[in-house]
Amino acid sequence: MDFEVSEEQEQLRASVADVLARECPPSLARARVEGGDAPVQPWRSAVELGWTGIALPEAWGGLGLSFEELGLVVEEHGRALAPGPFLATTTWFAPLVRETGDEVAGARWLAAVARGECTGSAAWGPDLAGRDAGVRARRDGDAWILEGTQRFVLDGDSADELAVAAQVEAGDGCALFLVPQQALKCQRVVSLDASRPLAHVGFDGVRVAPDRVLGEPGASRGVLARAREEASVALALETVGTCRTLFERVLEHARQRVQFGRPIGSFQAVQHKCADMFVQIEKARATAHFAMMVIAEDDPRRALAASLAKAAAGDCQRLVAKEAIQIHGGMGFTWESDVHLFARRAKTGDLLLGTAREHRARLAALLEL
Amino acid sequence: MKLHYDDATERFRAELRAWLEENQPDVAAVRADPSRSSAHVPEWARAWQERLFDAGWLVPGWPPELGGRNATPVQQLVYFEEMARIPVMRSYNPQGLTIIAPSLRDFASPAQQARFLVPSLRAQITWCLGMSEPGAGSDLAGLQTRAELQGDRFLVTGQKVWTSGAAHSDFCFCFVRTDSEAPKHRGISVLVIDMRSPGIDVRSMPELTDRERADFNEVFFDGVVVPRENLVGPLNQGWSMAAGSLAHERGMLWTSQAARLEQQIDRLRELARTPGSDGRRLGEDAVFRDRVASLYVDVQALRCMGYRGFAKFAHGEAAPEHSVLKLFGSEIEQRLCLVALEAQGAEGLDVDWAGFGMMGDREPPWANRYLHTFANTIAGGTSEIQRNIIAQRVLGLPRS
Ligand SMILES: Cc1cc2nc3c(=O)[nH]c(=O)nc-3n(C[C@H](O)[C@H](O)[C@H](O)COP(=O)(O)OP(=O)(O)OC[C@H]3O[C@@H](n4cnc5c(N)ncnc54)[C@H](O)[C@@H]3O)c2cc1C
Repeated sequence: MDFEVSEEQEQLRASVADVLARECPPSLARARVEGGDAPVQPWRSAVELGWTGIALPEAWGGLGLSFEELGLVVEEHGRALAPGPFLATTTWFAPLVRETGDEVAGARWLAAVARGECTGSAAWGPDLAGRDAGVRARRDGDAWILEGTQRFVLDGDSADELAVAAQVEAGDGCALFLVPQQALKCQRVVSLDASRPLAHVGFDGVRVAPDRVLGEPGASRGVLARAREEASVALALETVGTCRTLFERVLEHARQRVQFGRPIGSFQAVQHKCADMFVQIEKARATAHFAMMVIAEDDPRRALAASLAKAAAGDCQRLVAKEAIQIHGGMGFTWESDVHLFARRAKTGDLLLGTAREHRARLAALLEL
Repeated sequence: MKLHYDDATERFRAELRAWLEENQPDVAAVRADPSRSSAHVPEWARAWQERLFDAGWLVPGWPPELGGRNATPVQQLVYFEEMARIPVMRSYNPQGLTIIAPSLRDFASPAQQARFLVPSLRAQITWCLGMSEPGAGSDLAGLQTRAELQGDRFLVTGQKVWTSGAAHSDFCFCFVRTDSEAPKHRGISVLVIDMRSPGIDVRSMPELTDRERADFNEVFFDGVVVPRENLVGPLNQGWSMAAGSLAHERGMLWTSQAARLEQQIDRLRELARTPGSDGRRLGEDAVFRDRVASLYVDVQALRCMGYRGFAKFAHGEAAPEHSVLKLFGSEIEQRLCLVALEAQGAEGLDVDWAGFGMMGDREPPWANRYLHTFANTIAGGTSEIQRNIIAQRVLGLPRS
């Protein structure tokens, strides 16, 4: 029993934080939000330093570390408000492909992910229920034909490959496919956080060859659930990271901004807001780290832990983003301030893969209320 | 990072469980003679604490001569997890065991330790803690009870209030002003005061939950003679002990807090099976489900936060981060009891419940529990004071 990160993990975390502080200032996310092209960083550093393959097996060119290390890297990405394909590729796409146990697909696409030659995402429904009914698949000889639309797909119009959850007639009704970007009809969403791009993705009779069928059609619901648990925990970790930086900025502002002849951070109303924000951050962080360990050890409490982490992260961003804008006063209301960028990212983290409320509903079911 | 304890630690747990199985007090004895205050230690409770002491299960982190077994921090964590599962407390003079004994161990002279420490651990003597006064609650350093040094004795005059267990205790671990000229934090000392000394008047005050239970007391001191040898630590340096003694209490308090909350979540799950005011199962009510799940998230988070910080706590450091757990834990409990009470509707108004005690044959009504939760949001530094500490000492915001 040990909830502390190990020395090696701390070294890794610190080095990631260092690189991101250098290569990934919030101005990158801002440029993206203001309509700029996808930035080269911090993805390039992630590839060069092997973060893209951190939790992938060495056989596929990964570093062979665990979800703990990946989680710490993701939390740091959240702290840096990192734009780019890292989250979707390493915590949505990769787990879904890996969980199918398909060695051939792994050796092909996940090795490419590790090398930084392939970005990916998952089209599996943006909310907790993971409504995959948007896409249907039917057999056509030894290939499959996909029809329908999947809404709010993260990096949907930019990822090289999408792992798609579709409805089939057979078995448990769920099948997984890999579809390359060129085959898709995408409509970019004007989304709350444009540095976290979303698209509605249309499958207009897309034909999927047998070597792009992942696992067994009609026997994939469990795989999907496991991958989504992992993705939810990663998103919770990222949200915690974003809230932490936002909170640091609040503290800095509270110490520096003087009104009535003293720093506003000396007012008890502000102090108590800060204390409550800190409690929420500690709560979300401890819970997310617990869930990270549960995924890494493949403990049977996966579903429970994922919902705990996602719900706690949701509670956290709700308070932290609100008070951060409020405590920044008029400055917090400007476009120029970065506060809203962090608030947008944190809220996006809550609304994707199930809000705090949806996860509480799932916990209520797990508690057999 | 590891989710599970190693085998050696699990063997430690198994040994403790087996011992508890054999040595726990008998339910009938407990019910026949319940403890009536935090310093009223019935014979069964005294014998129980003594068994714990003799077996090295009272304070496992301490050496055998002090009722322990030099347990490692992780073993101590497991110990507190297990002790939270049984229906009796370790000691029925909790302030004696968890606040005063550690303070004596850290600050008392060898002679004082010989006289007070082991007898306290064996429940041969009981304690009350004299900190708060009518004019000094949150602002403890403003305390006014005077102790004048005259030769080899102090003369103590003043008043304490909210003194838990004073009516049943043998001694008071008492914070007094020994220098009224010095800045307020620097003129405070700690005296051990024999509660049978002439000039002490104890008036009990029933609590909000129960007119029959009077753990609270006012304690009046009128020229009470205290031998100089009862001064604990150096003269006028009592303030550091005030912070230190409460830190001891906090170190592992969260484990029992979290365990108690988990048990209460189980009660909420039972409540979910009962009909609500509209006749449907409460568990079918979306609002109730959401609230219970929210409490569950908080309780699990409390445990995770405790585990994360526990290395520090285990060393008994007065880390201000303790404030986070104290604040969060006590407020969860308050919310939880309120959720249950409100879910019951008019049924919650029935508070017909006889008696106090850990092993009553029925659970206390939620209304009583709710009212009782204020013990934890007020005592040991109110929630507002905890927020001040977090803001100023953890987050480094400027003092107001
Ligand atoms: C169950 C229980 C058992 C207790 N047992 C003991 C005991 O054995 N021995 C002992 O000495 N004492 C004991 N106490 C007393 C306890 O320590 C005090 O009640 C506590 O410190 C608060 O002091 P007070 O009651 O004077 O309230 P006050 O200090 O008057 O506080 C009243 C209100 O004002 C708020 N407030 C005060 N100062 C500030 C500030 N700076 N910023 C913001 N808000 C502020 C408080 O949070 C509170 O809400 C016990 C109390 C309880 C409830």
